[in-house]
Amino acid sequence: MKDKTTILIIVTYGILLSAVSILLNDIREFNFSQFEEFQNWAKTADKNEHWFTTKNAIKWSFYAISAGLFFWRAYLLYAFTYFISILKEIEKGNYFSTKNSGYFKKIANIFIYYTINVLILRFLLASIGKSSFNFLQEFKSEFTFLIPCGLAFYILAEVFERAKKSEEENELTI
Amino acid sequence: MPIIVNLDVMLAKRKMKSKDLAETIGITTANLSILKSGKAKAIRFSTLEAICKALDCQPSDILEYVA
Repeated sequence: MKDKTTILIIVTYGILLSAVSILLNDIREFNFSQFEEFQNWAKTADKNEHWFTTKNAIKWSFYAISAGLFFWRAYLLYAFTYFISILKEIEKGNYFSTKNSGYFKKIANIFIYYTINVLILRFLLASIGKSSFNFLQEFKSEFTFLIPCGLAFYILAEVFERAKKSEEENELTI
Repeated sequence: MPIIVNLDVMLAKRKMKSKDLAETIGITTANLSILKSGKAKAIRFSTLEAICKALDCQPSDILEYVA
């Protein structure tokens, strides 16, 4: 079991590192294209113009929302670090610890928050860009599967809590 | 819990040490201590049977219900 856990930890680290490198590359590309465009616009923009004119608001919002999407992606990657924590607990032999059920709840929270927030940001981006936003179409995209995943992790957290109680009862049965 | 374990009383009556009883019935002294202190959540029939056999008593001599 310990060997399998070690392999799983290594695999999880591999996935996490590759996901982080992809995210960093995307941020770099975003900096090259969007940020330069945004800076150029900021240089030429009329300083006397009120901040909340339609044009200014659109530019600022578009940039802020695009940056916000990166933040949520990083937050999702943070959830994967909890998988490593769970695997380390299992490696120690603490299968049904309070920590594990807590980690599962945290992962579930992050998955659900991520999906809801990305949906909101995508909706805002679509409304700023005046492109169409089909809610049902968005729900068909891959990342929305994180909601049932999150709910499954909530169930798993409950199962682990119940298992911990059963384990305690079993240990205190003489 | 309203169930009281009177194992101490029975051990004193039989003039037997906890360690000896634990060895006779085949459980650890730590587990016997949990049972004596009332921290145990449950007791197996096999353990109860072994205790009754070792102390030559009835289950009611060991377990008591207090409302």
